[in-house]
Amino acid sequence: MLLTLLAVSFIVFAAFEIIPGDAAVSRLGSNATKETVEALRVQMGLDKPFIVRYLNWLSGFVKGDFGTSISYNLPVSSMILEKLPITVTLTILSMIMTIGISIPLSLLIAKYAGSKFDRISYGTNQFVMAVPSFFLGIMMSWFFGMVLKLFRPGGYISYKKDFGGFLGYLILPAIAIAIPKCAMSIKLLRSAILTEAGKDYVRTAYSRGLSTMEVLYRHVLKNAMIPLITFWGMAVADMIAGSIVIEQVFNIPGLGRILLTSIANRDYPVVEAVIILIAFVVLIMNLVVDILYRVVDPRLRKD
Amino acid sequence: MLLSVEDFGIEFHDHDKPERVVEGVSFTLDKGEILGIVGESGSGKSMTALAIAGLLPRKKLKKEGRILFEGEDVLTMERHKLRTLQGDEICMIFQEPMTALNPTMKIGTQVEEALRIHHTQMNDAARKERAIKWLENVELDDPERVYESYPHQLSGGMRQRVMIAAAMVGGPQLLIADEATTALDVTVQAQIIKLLQKINKESAVAILFISHDLSLIRQISHNVLVMQNGHLVEKGAVDDIFDHPKQEYTKKLISAIPKVEL
Repeated sequence: MLLTLLAVSFIVFAAFEIIPGDAAVSRLGSNATKETVEALRVQMGLDKPFIVRYLNWLSGFVKGDFGTSISYNLPVSSMILEKLPITVTLTILSMIMTIGISIPLSLLIAKYAGSKFDRISYGTNQFVMAVPSFFLGIMMSWFFGMVLKLFRPGGYISYKKDFGGFLGYLILPAIAIAIPKCAMSIKLLRSAILTEAGKDYVRTAYSRGLSTMEVLYRHVLKNAMIPLITFWGMAVADMIAGSIVIEQVFNIPGLGRILLTSIANRDYPVVEAVIILIAFVVLIMNLVVDILYRVVDPRLRKD
Repeated sequence: MLLSVEDFGIEFHDHDKPERVVEGVSFTLDKGEILGIVGESGSGKSMTALAIAGLLPRKKLKKEGRILFEGEDVLTMERHKLRTLQGDEICMIFQEPMTALNPTMKIGTQVEEALRIHHTQMNDAARKERAIKWLENVELDDPERVYESYPHQLSGGMRQRVMIAAAMVGGPQLLIADEATTALDVTVQAQIIKLLQKINKESAVAILFISHDLSLIRQISHNVLVMQNGHLVEKGAVDDIFDHPKQEYTKKLISAIPKVEL
């Protein structure tokens, strides 16, 4: 896990070496004289060789010093800590919607498998799955904001000022993120439910006098969710990484937003920290998935 | 009389041509009786058993005749009414104990399930007490530990005992055992047969014992039905059938039992 994070940090650092652009130039503007740019480069330590800069940065990172933002002159850690709750809340909201909608809906669809309802939902699902979140976001912004005027596009409310208003603002972006994930969950869950429903223990459950809905909820669901755990874990990581786009669409100043602006400004300490954070979340989600497997499936537990 | 099957038949409609799998089957079962149904695979014995337990699919299938359980027709009964019988009055155990239990649910929860559905007035402690008592009755060692176990922690024989406990916990009138010993090895088979006989004596539950194994049928049954290709070939008391078979098919089956020369 540490090795993975190390590799990620190195690659990001190297990428900044390769792409054109200079932090000093972007800070001073393009009319600055060569001398002032050079002076600033020396002051920022940009004149040192690549590997020295990397090791300097790394040793600071290990000590818990994430460095100072080049463009804002603020400590990176406090910048990230301020933005993190926004993206995390957005992800949690989207995840709650994804799971909360896909479970009952897949059970319903599975119950009527083969019926007209099943076929219609299959078609709708296939269509929804193909629509990217950002497009949904733009359409929803336009429809709810411009047509219905229920929502003020760009009217983000800080969680520090009004948490309720903040949550309210995040609902639409969360829906935009959740809908395609929901469609995929339903597709996977429907087939998992149908596979499980053909198994012997389901017949046993029926023989005890349970109704179809009780059989599905009490017996089938838990078994059918096992293959979904991996997908949901990946979805969380994907939502955090994908926040870059949706935060741009809805003008939310979250992690994705600072990642984007700092890439534009060549603000590598911020980019490094955000990307390592995202990589860390992906790794943590893998761990959580493994733990959840053991919680849900007793066959994987060690006695 | 507990169960009366009258001119029962099943026709499948899942292919282009309708297919008759059971036709004109009539028999009765008294309270506390053990009735064996013997026949090759495809003889319709399992289909008949599933029909009595109300477990046949509702679509793509035509059912004929009547199956009267305590005078009421299981075939035409409304589903919510049928459900009050299932697990409480009519219970069933199956061939594959390895897959018949839910792998992610504790044994205790599964054994108690019929009580949770049908005896809603019982509290948790009373249900657990009854479940443990039945785990003991089916001669499982350390029932407390089995109660807390998951199916994969038990052997096939133990799981079939658990299935019997889960079926008997509600105090049913009829236990249907569909090839319940087929997947087990011979010594475990003999133990399960003994256990079923004991339960039959102690609880006065009628047992419909379905098997392709004539020697097991002979050992456990009071009366026997012989089925072939969806038809009832012969029925009678176990000794009559085995000592004086009337039909050619029955004679052939009996002569096929391997005899052990001592």
